[in-house]
Formats: sequence, C-alpha cells, structure tokens
Amino acid sequence: MSKQKYEIPTINKIDFAMASKYGSPVKSQKIRTEIDGVKISELTEKFGSPIFVFSQKQIEEKYHTLHNAFSSRYPDVTFGWSYKTNYLNEICKIYHDLGSVAEVVSEFEYQKARALGVEGKDIIFNGPYKPKADLKIAVEEGAKIHVDNLFEINDLEEIAEELGIKIPVAIRINMDTGIYPQWSRFGFNFENGDALDAVERMYAGGKLYLTGIHSHIGTFMLDANAYRLATMKIMQLKERVERKFNAEIAYIDLGGGFASKSNLKGIYQSAEVVVPTADDYAEAITNAIYEFNKSENLPKLYLETGRHLIDEAGYLLTSVWGHKRFPDGKKGYILDAGVNLLYTSTWYNFNIELDKRYEGDNEASMLNGPLCMNIDIIEENLMLPPLDRGSVLTISPVGAYNYTQAMQFIRYKPAVVLIDKEGTPRVIKEVDDLATINYKEV
Amino acid sequence: MKVIEELVLDENNVAFHPMMGNSYQLNPIAKEIVSAIKQSKSKDEILQELSLKYDVAKEELFIDISDFFAKLKVYGLLS
Repeated sequence: MSKQKYEIPTINKIDFAMASKYGSPVKSQKIRTEIDGVKISELTEKFGSPIFVFSQKQIEEKYHTLHNAFSSRYPDVTFGWSYKTNYLNEICKIYHDLGSVAEVVSEFEYQKARALGVEGKDIIFNGPYKPKADLKIAVEEGAKIHVDNLFEINDLEEIAEELGIKIPVAIRINMDTGIYPQWSRFGFNFENGDALDAVERMYAGGKLYLTGIHSHIGTFMLDANAYRLATMKIMQLKERVERKFNAEIAYIDLGGGFASKSNLKGIYQSAEVVVPTADDYAEAITNAIYEFNKSENLPKLYLETGRHLIDEAGYLLTSVWGHKRFPDGKKGYILDAGVNLLYTSTWYNFNIELDKRYEGDNEASMLNGPLCMNIDIIEENLMLPPLDRGSVLTISPVGAYNYTQAMQFIRYKPAVVLIDKEGTPRVIKEVDDLATINYKEV
Repeated sequence: MKVIEELVLDENNVAFHPMMGNSYQLNPIAKEIVSAIKQSKSKDEILQELSLKYDVAKEELFIDISDFFAKLKVYGLLS
C-alpha cells in the first residue's frame, strides 16, 4: 500500500486580534522563485549556498534611471562609483563601463581602481586618512584629491615642493542641512568659517589651488531638500573663493547618501513611501545650482552614489540547515548565512522571501545564522510557515556594503555570482578556502 | 485529566479548549496526533503509526513530532 503525502504537523493558537483588512499574517507568504529569469534552485544547486547574487540588468537600469534624472536637468554630470559600497572587480567594471569614474577612500581602493585600468585623473581620492606616500602617488597620477584636514594640506605642500609643481585640489566641507546626526567629522565646517579659512591657508602657502568643492552630508538620506541646502552652501563657498582668490572652481561634488529601497529599522512606513525618487534628489541639487550660481560657467557636477545604485541589485541566498523550538515557543531556524555576511542587518529589516509556497500556517520564527555566537540573529520575529531542511531563503536588498563588510569570521566568505544582461549566471568571486585564510600568515 | 484531553476538535481542524478559552488551528496530521494523545498513546507509538502511514523518513518525523510536542507544552496543553 502506498503511503500518504506527508505534511509537517502544526498547531497555532488563533489570535483574533491579528486579523485585519490587510489580510492574515498567518497565511501570507512572500515567494521568490527566480532572479532575472534564473531559478533560485538552479543557482544554489550549481553554485552552492550561501551565495551572493548580483543582477547586471538591475544595476544598469538603476544607473540609467538616476543618471537620466540628473543629465536631463543638468549639462555636465558624472558619477563616481563608490568603491567602499562594493569593490568586487566585476561590479566596479560595470560602473566604469557605464561611464563612472572611481571614488576611493584608501590606498587599497586606489590601487584596485588603477589595476582595473582607471586613469588617475578619473579617480576621486576621498577620506580622512591618506598617508603621504599614497597621496604622492595620487598627485603624480593626476587624481582628484579631496582635502579633509589641515595636516593633509601640509603633506600636499611638501609633495608639491618635492615634485616642483602646484597641485590642484578640492576641499571637503561639512555643514548643517537640518539632518541629524550632522556629519561634521569629515572636512571643514562651512558655518563656522573653517572651510574658508582652510582655503585661505592653501592660497597662503602658494603651492595648492582649489578646483573643486565636495560635501557628503550623510547616509540613507530620506529628505531630498537637505541636498538643496548642501548645494546652496557649496555654491556660496564657491562664489566667495572665486571672488577672493580669483580661483576657478571647475567642479562641485555632492557625494552620496541617496537612500535605497531598504527598510530602515524604526521607520514605520515602507521604503516605497519614504525614500525620495531619483527625480527628487536630482531636482533638489540641480535647481539649487542654477539658483545660486554666480559664475559665467556652470560647474561640473560629480555624485558618488553607492547604496542607491546597487543595493536592490544584490541578493543573498541562504539555506535552512535545521530548526528547533525555543523554550518560549518560538521556532528557531539555523541558516547557513548569518550576521557575518549581513553587516547591515543591524540597521535594516530585509525582505526575506521563500523559494516556494509551503503548506501550513505561519508562526513567529527567529532566523539565526551559523555562527556559534548568540548575536547571530538575522530576524528575531518573522512569520513563517514550517520550512524544510534545505529550504532556500532569498534576502534582499543586500547589494550595498554587505559583501565588502562581510566578515571572514568562523566561516569562509561565500562565492558571488553575477547574472549578466543575457540572464546567464557566472561566478565572479569563488568561495574562500583554507589557503585564502592562511595566505600571508608566517 | 491531562489538559489536552479537554480539547474539542471540529471537522475544520480547529480545536477549542473550554477552560482556557483558547482556540487553535491544526492541520490534519496535527489533529491525528492530538487524537492519539487523547487516547493515551505514547510519543513512540504515534511515531510508529505515522511513519507507517505517511511518506516521510522516520528520523525526520521524529524531529517534527518532537517539535509538535514542544509546542503543546508551550501552550500549556501538555506538561
């Protein structure tokens, strides 16, 4: 006699207060069976689990949307790919092929950009820490140096002396745009006059001259109007510098910080509601340039958007390894990916989708990673149906920062797959192994 | 009398506990297990019966039944 189809036994207390006009949280399941036409099951069977997956199609679509928002309003705009957001070579190449220059904040990122064939003139060198030896290479190769502090001015003057040249530089400034917390640790403050004093110091030395002004007012900025204020203050400083020092500020750089469609913890409304559109950001910035420009020529506009461009194009596929019932009744799932790979889980509630529809009602579940650490929690309370060992969850958006900040801790860093525009997946970074870990140990 | 023995099961797989005032949603196999417990069958006996009846590895079934019993305890239906 053939056996009957099995279903995991479930019992759930009926909470009548949970029913609402939005439906029942006990029945709803978010399901994702494919990414860009490639089945989730095919990806994990072929490339293993856990695995990061990036969509070139989605990267390019987002890039074009944002770029069109700016270029349709302003004649001279260039994006700088923010390496720290994701510096996998194949990802950087996509952005460079689309026309982005490189925006780097360390010698390692600088070297990576150069190794990818980016010319020095197409590298923006930002950050508070630029050792003199690295700074000198960047100067010699014609990179755009964005000065962060007075020590850097001294170093640059020494380099100018050593090379017998005058060095064009940009200055990073910070300001009050009504955003809390105000990012005041990078660059020179606008309101208290530090920024203008720093420019004065540069010109007093006679070895540096200013060609650009840069600001980066924060991250995950949900108020496009803050960029209008930032642009206004940059344009005001530009006008003062040009008048006082007979300088020509060729470009302004509004940095990054545009939000992605991720759900920030503590924000009640969904990202679809609270995140400004590309047009919102573009309008705020370009309108302010036109409004406050006092020069004959419009400055070139650089943007260093990272998260907004790539976050939604990145996914993490992770498999259920096992489950248990905690003493408080909550179901706990052990996954093969944890906070070692999801650094941003501290701040964002991810979209977590199932690989198929599962039988049974949802119950409050906790998603734990594979680390033997109590803090390895991806989600504390998620309504999930009974999952099987081997069920695959797709976690998104994770394209920004998660891979670059993923820790090699307890487990090997996973492989990364890129699905190209034709819908063909290929490995762009293999899974680490013992040789990776032991490399350089002596 | 065990608390679970007071559970009233209906044809829609809903169970009601009159003393506690709670209702529960079960699936058919869960209903079978509760019925078996009410008949004083042990966990091992239930495991044997279900493994013969359903297309599932016994080791896997053991995990699911253990989880089910744990949840009954959390709900105060089993001590």
